[in-house]
Amino acid sequence: MIPRTRKTLALTAIAAIVVIAAVAIWWYNTIPTAERGLTLLKTKSIIIFGIVSGGTFALLALGFTLIYGVAGVVNMAHGSFFMLGAYIFYVFTSPKYLEVNIFLAFFIAIILTGVIGATVYRLTIHPVIEELTSLLVITVGVALVFERLMIIEFGPFHYPIPGFVGGYETILGVKVTYTRLLAFSVSLVLFAALWMFISKSKMGRAMRAAAQDLEAAKLMGVNTGRLFMLTMALSSILAATAGILITASTSGIAMPFMWLRPLVLSFAIVILGGLGSIKGTFIGSFIIGFVDNIVVFLIPEGSYLGGAAAMAIMVAVLLVRPKGLFGKRIELEE
Amino acid sequence: MATTYLRRAYSSFAVHILDIPPRLLAFLMFLLVLSLPVTKPTEHILLLLIQASIMAIFACSWDLLVGRTGQISLGHALFFGLGAYITALLWFHYDLPVWVTIPISVLIVTGLAPLIGFPCLRVKGPYLALVSMALPIIVVSLISYFRDYTQGERGIAGLPGFFPSLPYGQRFVAEYFLTLFLLLVSSVILYRIANSRTGIVFVSILDDELASKACGINITKYKLMAFTISGLFAALAGAVSAHLLASGRSVTTASLDANLSFMVVIVAIFGGIGTMYGPIIAAYILQLIDQYVLVKIWNVPSEYHMLLFIIVIIILVLKWPRGVAKFVTDELDDLQEEREIEERGKHIWKRYRRKKRSPTPEA
Amino acid sequence: MHLLEVENLNKRFGGLTAIKDLNFNVEEGEILGLIGPNGAGKTTLFNLISGFLKPDSGKIKFKGEDITGNEPYKIVNKGIARTFQVVRPFRHLPVIANVLVALKSARGSKKIEWVKTPEAKALGLLEDVGLSDMMLESAGILPHGDLKRLEIARALATEPELILLDEPFAGLNPIETELLTKSINSMHLDGHTMVIVEHKLYALMKLAKRVIVLHFGEKIAEGTPEEIAKNKKVIEVYMGRAK
Repeated sequence: MIPRTRKTLALTAIAAIVVIAAVAIWWYNTIPTAERGLTLLKTKSIIIFGIVSGGTFALLALGFTLIYGVAGVVNMAHGSFFMLGAYIFYVFTSPKYLEVNIFLAFFIAIILTGVIGATVYRLTIHPVIEELTSLLVITVGVALVFERLMIIEFGPFHYPIPGFVGGYETILGVKVTYTRLLAFSVSLVLFAALWMFISKSKMGRAMRAAAQDLEAAKLMGVNTGRLFMLTMALSSILAATAGILITASTSGIAMPFMWLRPLVLSFAIVILGGLGSIKGTFIGSFIIGFVDNIVVFLIPEGSYLGGAAAMAIMVAVLLVRPKGLFGKRIELEE
Repeated sequence: MATTYLRRAYSSFAVHILDIPPRLLAFLMFLLVLSLPVTKPTEHILLLLIQASIMAIFACSWDLLVGRTGQISLGHALFFGLGAYITALLWFHYDLPVWVTIPISVLIVTGLAPLIGFPCLRVKGPYLALVSMALPIIVVSLISYFRDYTQGERGIAGLPGFFPSLPYGQRFVAEYFLTLFLLLVSSVILYRIANSRTGIVFVSILDDELASKACGINITKYKLMAFTISGLFAALAGAVSAHLLASGRSVTTASLDANLSFMVVIVAIFGGIGTMYGPIIAAYILQLIDQYVLVKIWNVPSEYHMLLFIIVIIILVLKWPRGVAKFVTDELDDLQEEREIEERGKHIWKRYRRKKRSPTPEA
Repeated sequence: MHLLEVENLNKRFGGLTAIKDLNFNVEEGEILGLIGPNGAGKTTLFNLISGFLKPDSGKIKFKGEDITGNEPYKIVNKGIARTFQVVRPFRHLPVIANVLVALKSARGSKKIEWVKTPEAKALGLLEDVGLSDMMLESAGILPHGDLKRLEIARALATEPELILLDEPFAGLNPIETELLTKSINSMHLDGHTMVIVEHKLYALMKLAKRVIVLHFGEKIAEGTPEEIAKNKKVIEVYMGRAK
């Protein structure tokens, strides 16, 4: 039996990439010269968009990992914060409601979502944080409540999410909108900020402590209730940011059912990368980002397959190596 | 000859139903429900009851899987929706009659159930819940993608009904009896499985999976079994509902939606997870509340119904988290079960003592 | 041929070595005692034999067949049953149902001539351990001593050849200890081979003809109870070194 260690997986992945590359090169040489340009374009698009997608997915997935790593909470309503970010952003940028400067709207949306996140934590998660199954049911309920509220308030329609800046830049022959670039840069900035926060600040240290050993952290005087609430706020802010950035740079619309895909996407990324590992979440985001774009560009009308590919990967990972790539918290047998 | 059979049937009926108070009550209620059409109810009420019956079958199937085996399924609409879609597609593409498409659809979904269950088996708790939520989404994506074949989000309408020869007014009554009959058969089968020795193994998996393994139980086999049986009845509910006049004789991706999956969770929590009969009663009560109380009495607009239900459930679970977490509530030790085991027990005692008295060959 | 052979078994948990180069055999029909201070790896050893843990290296053979790393239920169905140090009854089920579960296993459901139904067999087993009048009670309300007996009834339901008893005497009062000793003796007479992990040495030494002593995962002594009692290393490990 070949041991399923990280090393063998990495070797298999490298072998797979080499094989795929070889096949790709051979196949590239067989297609008529006229089409070669298109294929090259597609490949470049996949790479560039894969990186951009990966970055923004990482924001989303990081929020999910954060609340899981620190508080052990699997937040099924994570996608709702993604959605709320987009909706609040819409409200503050639409002439129908309050229209303000687009960047101000951005900040209002994410901060407001953060507050909502903390409130949701205090009201519905904190009481049942010990009972995992109840927590699952409740957070799904919360997600559905938000969906219903959006339907009630705005109707089951689509709403436009404006892209921040019009126009696009051409990189290596691929047209990339400024919005996408902006989204990517914002992601990078946020990662840096988050990294500094977690490694340098007192709160960050408390979060790391709780992630390592909750009991010990409590004994050291960490107020876990408050810490979790703040972590939840942070997690929802990340989700909301992702919600605005991703929606603005891709579909451009907000709808009440848009909480489900981000949730499952986050989960897919986190399972692939390994629950509880920030490194894994990062790498997982980029992998999924690439896969998503591969599906979109290579398969005709692939966009309909949406997150299905990502989910299929998740299911596959769970079957083969439930720990994911860098997982720490696993279901121990005995 | 006939009289002996009749007498035997009656005594069996007496032992199994008449002697046991809760069952007697259920039987009387069933008679009541059966004779309802005599009172000439409105179409609206019949509609309500028909939909409740379907939800009852669905919820009962969920309860076997979640309440008795402990596999949390938050995406049970997968089976329901697949059942509905396959029967619709079979009609749409091959023009097969209802009594052919429904059994085939149920068979297909039952055959797929072990495949669906397989990834769910390797995982527990949140992973399982999430995988169960993800699977319906994958199916919806696939439906959108293959829209030429499946009609995509538009869905399929104009499905054949069950009683085309009957005049319109009587069709509702006929459907009422049909769904009631299916509910009776399904619930009896599910209940008997749940209380059989296999059902006991199911509960052992829920109670302590490790100890169950130590008793030599192949957990995977039993979990798959639970999945398949549960999927079968959920698919039945879905397939039948697609053709009911009461549900518009159409199929859309709503039959796979998270809202439907959660609705069955609400019904089951409300009725008592693990009891098997609780969800059935809850299906009726909640349907009544949803379509009658909220609409006629309190005049709540329809968008708010689901919201109210979910909020109530959230509050319930917040108040009694252990109730949901424990899954199998204390109602498992209900009067009926004790009676049954006691009956079996006394029966065995007698047989066993008789065997002991007569000379037995040494093992 | 030995009933059970443990060859060069090793198990580590991260930096902690739980079992190190362990070698021993269990002969058919014997009662083998397994003792050692807390943390010596006794329960880990049971977990390894019964399939709940997979060893890092080494082999476990039962009746000549390699069962290393097999699934727990398969090992039960080959004829090895175990009880748990901390009882694990099915609290949601009545007592008789607890035994019925074990009777649903492949091995437990093989037909026995004079007993027609699993319920009858379950009742018989409960009678053997003295729990038959509790048969309809929910296992969750039973006192500790009764739960231990239920564990044994459940283990016996799978018709094992080898039974691993993990601290069966823990938490029992003198009367219950006496009763359990009697039960173990009668199981022994019925032909079951047993490995017993126990801290109550006076109870164990009366039952076991052979004893193995573990310390930090290694076998430090093996012999009859009398030999072990006099073994200097064993005394040192339990009592500490005299100045």
